[in-house]
Amino acid sequence: MELEDVPGQLLKALEPISRFGGNIQSIMHQRERKTPLGRLPVMLVFEISDRARLNRILAALRARGVRVTQLGEREGAVRATALLIGHIIHTDINDTIDRLNALKGVMVSDLSLAMGDPGKESTARMTITADDEKRAKLAISNLQRIAGGKKLLMITSLEAG
Amino acid sequence: MQIVLVGFGNLGKGLSRTFIQKASFLRKSYGLIPRVVAAVDEFGAAVDEKGLNLMGLLKAAEKKGTVAAYKGGKRGKLALKMIDNVEADVVYDLTPTNIKTGEPGLTHIKRAMLAGKHVITSNKGPLVVAFRELDSLAKRCGVEFRYSASVGGAVPVVDLAKKLLAGNEIREIRGVLNGTTNYILTRMSREGAPFELVLREAQELGIAEKDPTLDIEGIDTACKITILANSLLGMNARLKDVKVVGITRVRPDAIRLAQEAGQTIKLIGIARRGSLEVGPKLVPLGHPLAVGGTLNAVTFELDLAREISITGFGAGPKETSSSLLGDLIDIHRTLGG
Repeated sequence: MELEDVPGQLLKALEPISRFGGNIQSIMHQRERKTPLGRLPVMLVFEISDRARLNRILAALRARGVRVTQLGEREGAVRATALLIGHIIHTDINDTIDRLNALKGVMVSDLSLAMGDPGKESTARMTITADDEKRAKLAISNLQRIAGGKKLLMITSLEAG
Repeated sequence: MQIVLVGFGNLGKGLSRTFIQKASFLRKSYGLIPRVVAAVDEFGAAVDEKGLNLMGLLKAAEKKGTVAAYKGGKRGKLALKMIDNVEADVVYDLTPTNIKTGEPGLTHIKRAMLAGKHVITSNKGPLVVAFRELDSLAKRCGVEFRYSASVGGAVPVVDLAKKLLAGNEIREIRGVLNGTTNYILTRMSREGAPFELVLREAQELGIAEKDPTLDIEGIDTACKITILANSLLGMNARLKDVKVVGITRVRPDAIRLAQEAGQTIKLIGIARRGSLEVGPKLVPLGHPLAVGGTLNAVTFELDLAREISITGFGAGPKETSSSLLGDLIDIHRTLGG
């Protein structure tokens, strides 16, 4: 979206999103890339449960004079989080991620790493985004297999079974 | 009701204190007068068909380390003799758990049933080793068999499911069933302290045992999952059927990363038909199973009620006597008392 470069504009754009139940994931505010008309491009990522709510948000944004220039959707994205404990780096974390990303409709969308002392085990928190529940389950069971092969302890969420 | 107490450690003592404390309440509320006619420990026995003086029994046992020190007490391995020969309605087996053989509790329970005595136990060993056998032996002998205290301590896990939720099909049971590991994980999450340090402190506080293997390797939880699978899901499960991972590799970093994502780590036992599992799991903060300290918690997934969760103290002599006494009252009522 593009916002006027005056104070309070970002807040104006965010309010309808949270009002209609949107869960904001990230905001990229690019001050150095003003449009020829002097507006600021802002990229917002948020989750919303259904199409009707999305339409209400878009209408509210329009009514407030916020210009939505581009709209991308990932329908029904499912996220799954898992922890990995072990020699994560030495067992090639790139390979672990690549093998998950190779699955159709699956992407490792976040990774946080806590390094252990030299020679000791490390911990990673991995978030996998998948197109649907089935793919998320497949990704988790694949990760389980990879973790087993690399002697990593994998801690899944209670709901993942 | 005439009672034989086999095992006079923390639980036997705790139950005796509860009998003293609750005597008039039990008489008034249920017309129940528990009379302990024999108490046995590994060194000897105290017997009085008119009923032992429980204050005196506790004092003798505290002072001399055995019930044999009670007036007229006898020394020796007397458990089976007492079970067979003393006239009684109920035998409590409160002996220590042995998950490999189930002994000595297993023999105590069988002999009591064969002698026509109802059995109440807190001992996981016999239940893990021979649940089906004991269950059918009780039916064959026409006696009641209760084991509420074996899972969840004071938390009425078994009875909640068997009685109050009797109309439901249980799809899954999930629980925090080991207070020691829950205490360790809670301290690690609050203080960021490493596993080994918290374990050592838990041992000093008497929360963890000198040999903590059964707790921290998830085996104690696996025993409880086996018991729940057998008693509530109608399975014929053994300990070896449970896939078990303990908490020894869980690091404070892992708990921190979990917390940053709104979760915490708990050692969870999961029982569903065809799949029994114990391991550390991510649990959302605020979830019914995200209980702190030494608490236990269980969630049932049911076809009608959907989800029911229950929380409480999973250990401690006084707390566990709640379940042990509840079983006695239940038998008393079942028999029309």
